[in-house]
Amino acid sequence: MAWRLYALELPQAQELMPEGPEPEGFWPLEEPWEPRTGEALPWPEPLYFLDGKERAEGLVAEGRRLALLGCVAAGAVVYEEGRMRLLSPVVRRVGVGLSEPLPAGELLYAPFPVEGEGIYALQEGLRRARATLEAEVAKELSGGLLVVDGPVRLKREGPLVGYVKTHWARYLPPEKEALLARLAPGERSPLFRIRRKGQELASWYLRLPLPPEGVRPPEAGLLRLETPMEGPYEALAALSLSLFPALASHPVKDSRAPQNLTPVGGLERELGRRMGSREVVARLLARHLGGG
Amino acid sequence: MERIGVVLGSREATPLAFWVGVEGEGLLRLDDLVVVEGFHPKVGKVRYFGMVDHVAKVHEGETYDTDTFLAVQGQIPVSLAYVAHVSVTRILPEEFFPPDPGSPVYLAEGEDLELALYYEAMKNQRGSTKLPAGLLKNGEVAYLNLEFLNGVKGGHVNISGISGVAAKTSYATFLLKSLLESGVLKDAHQAKVLLFNVKGEDLFFLDKPNARLTEEARQAYQALGLPATPFQSVAFLAPPKKDGYVPDVETRLEGVRAYHYDLVQFCQRGLLPFLFADRGFMTNLGFLVQHLTEKLRRLAEGQKGPHLLVEDWAKEELPEGITFDALGKVRLKSFAELVRYLEYKLLGPETGEGEGDRSWTARQARGTLEAFIRRLRASVENVAHLIRGDRPGNPPDPLQGEQVHVVDLAKLSPQAQMFVVGSLLKDVFERKERGQYRGRVFIVLDELNKYAPRDEEGPIKDVLLDIAERGRSLGVILIGAEQTASEVERRVVANAAIRVVGRLDAAEAERPEYRFLPTSFRQRALILPQGAVILQQPEIPVPLLVRFPFPAWATKREEVLEDNSAEALRRELF
Repeated sequence: MAWRLYALELPQAQELMPEGPEPEGFWPLEEPWEPRTGEALPWPEPLYFLDGKERAEGLVAEGRRLALLGCVAAGAVVYEEGRMRLLSPVVRRVGVGLSEPLPAGELLYAPFPVEGEGIYALQEGLRRARATLEAEVAKELSGGLLVVDGPVRLKREGPLVGYVKTHWARYLPPEKEALLARLAPGERSPLFRIRRKGQELASWYLRLPLPPEGVRPPEAGLLRLETPMEGPYEALAALSLSLFPALASHPVKDSRAPQNLTPVGGLERELGRRMGSREVVARLLARHLGGG
Repeated sequence: MERIGVVLGSREATPLAFWVGVEGEGLLRLDDLVVVEGFHPKVGKVRYFGMVDHVAKVHEGETYDTDTFLAVQGQIPVSLAYVAHVSVTRILPEEFFPPDPGSPVYLAEGEDLELALYYEAMKNQRGSTKLPAGLLKNGEVAYLNLEFLNGVKGGHVNISGISGVAAKTSYATFLLKSLLESGVLKDAHQAKVLLFNVKGEDLFFLDKPNARLTEEARQAYQALGLPATPFQSVAFLAPPKKDGYVPDVETRLEGVRAYHYDLVQFCQRGLLPFLFADRGFMTNLGFLVQHLTEKLRRLAEGQKGPHLLVEDWAKEELPEGITFDALGKVRLKSFAELVRYLEYKLLGPETGEGEGDRSWTARQARGTLEAFIRRLRASVENVAHLIRGDRPGNPPDPLQGEQVHVVDLAKLSPQAQMFVVGSLLKDVFERKERGQYRGRVFIVLDELNKYAPRDEEGPIKDVLLDIAERGRSLGVILIGAEQTASEVERRVVANAAIRVVGRLDAAEAERPEYRFLPTSFRQRALILPQGAVILQQPEIPVPLLVRFPFPAWATKREEVLEDNSAEALRRELF
């Protein structure tokens, strides 16, 4: 029995709210609990930005078994000598739930294990494939500072900062959280410690400029940054004030402005491009796996 | 072969044009020639030769124009795209299927360059017909197929461009140099050149070496296979001053001969119509002019000038100063007297309401006759020194003597210019028609729009049209130049096989006369530097931008390389 194309579009999966762990407590690292500003600091070089992208391309079936064909890409841009350069991104096609490679014309989907059952498990598998690839790319980046999109998950020799754009989890008790609404663009909250899956992290909130200034929802332009406790977290917190506001994107150009940083936006576009045209991939899948 | 890039797949590739992505350090400029290989299992290998006519660079990865600032500040990654558009000049073999995107593109050099520009086809049974016509951007020689210039397959050259950037006259003389001395024109020793000098005295130093000739220019001549020398055999002819017989020139004092016609030549050669080349050339008047030309021709029959003898001017009617000779004939000794005589023949005696001689008036109304006489009288001031009866005439004869004849028109009034150009062209053309000269005759005439205007009729335009339409088969080749081709009679321009465009005025470049130039060339014609022209010839589907070297001959007095040797001074003094 051969794999057949089941669907090109995934069934409308409900956007799952990540189950954030409730804060286990509040450990401030700085006193008093007031907005902080800082002086302009030179950027460290090399400065890496790492990001990944995933895309589900088709659902295939073999009898009752389902597999999710998708494309994952990860790459980095590096800031060096005043230029932002793209490091060659890696694009991979994976079949979550396959046990051996599945060719579809020029495309070859490599098997990737799935944990659990059902469509959500397949989607989660694709996310894991992306995370694996990101970790692989990160391994190649030595020296300097690495900035990753999302919470800090990987391990690294040098300094590492993760930035979180959407705030599902509440890390601050309500009386402390009031400060966030008062943060002006370019200001940060004091540092506090968080604990996740056995990881000790230093975290802080930072308000990005969002032109044009005006009435905004309280969370507009708010980033939460985190870095491992064992690193130079105080220096990184100071640096973040000169780094992130400068890289904030403009709402005219990016719908996710200002949190989606410009270099990362460029990287994402590039990754999307390298994944190939969605339409062409869909046609290839339909031709080689469809029918029957 | 140097690989320069690949055929782009993001834009359409066709058999006639495609885009090239330039790789890495590659450099591809306008006018560069490239070659691409294509393959199809049914046809086999096909080679595309082409010329770059558009190049562009763009930041890829930018979505908004303002992203450029971000890229410069190092905030977003971009890549530089360097693309070029290629117009295909030739496909070998002629299988018109498109090249594959991704095919490597090479710079065409050596043999490929010759194939790209059809040089290998420029030959006949007697050998190569590659006439050096300038240098390409890459330093290689650009050739014209002589057979499109000497009348075998085509003829005539049309040069247009605004004045003052040393393009028209300079290129025309350069082309002559190449024609006469490159050895490609086999019977070059028989060829004659008639050059009209229309402004200044620029052409009066063609036989003198140029003191400002640089070593670089010398090398350019060497690359072209031409000697960096002035013209060897040149005659300089200028109209006489209004009083006397000294040539009316200022900068060049030796070696210039004055030319004029005598009355008998004027009548015998039928030159009267060339005095009426102005815009008021009405039908009636035209008819009368034809008639009188014929009358004068008959009158001068058998006479040996310079003066014209007439028998039928009644004694009592003679104006002061004109006398009978012993044989009862009146001797007309100047153009003014000829005009008087015609007035007498057409309008009758001055006293009273007389009538003219019926056989001369050709039944024209008195108004027409009077109009004719008025015009003729007005021309006395302009041409009296050119048409005279007191000395045997010596009009320019480009088919005799020196190889190049420079005929000066610069100081003449417009009417006299018309007269000289018209009568010389007619003379040359008629003699070639009758087979009186074997070699080729090249006629260089600037300001064609004056002599063959688009909207007006005239005897000179007729001669020029004749030359343009039939001249090439008779061996009369017109090298015409003008500032605005749009104002020249279409048939004259259309008959030119080779078109040269110097710098153009922006409005002029948009006219249909320049549609043979691709858009990029039309834009470039606005910014052409000195010493560069765009060359279009029938065999090559794209125009070529060529540079030509600084003239090896002086173009004005200050440039003349003084010969101060003892020998030269001795010749000068004794």
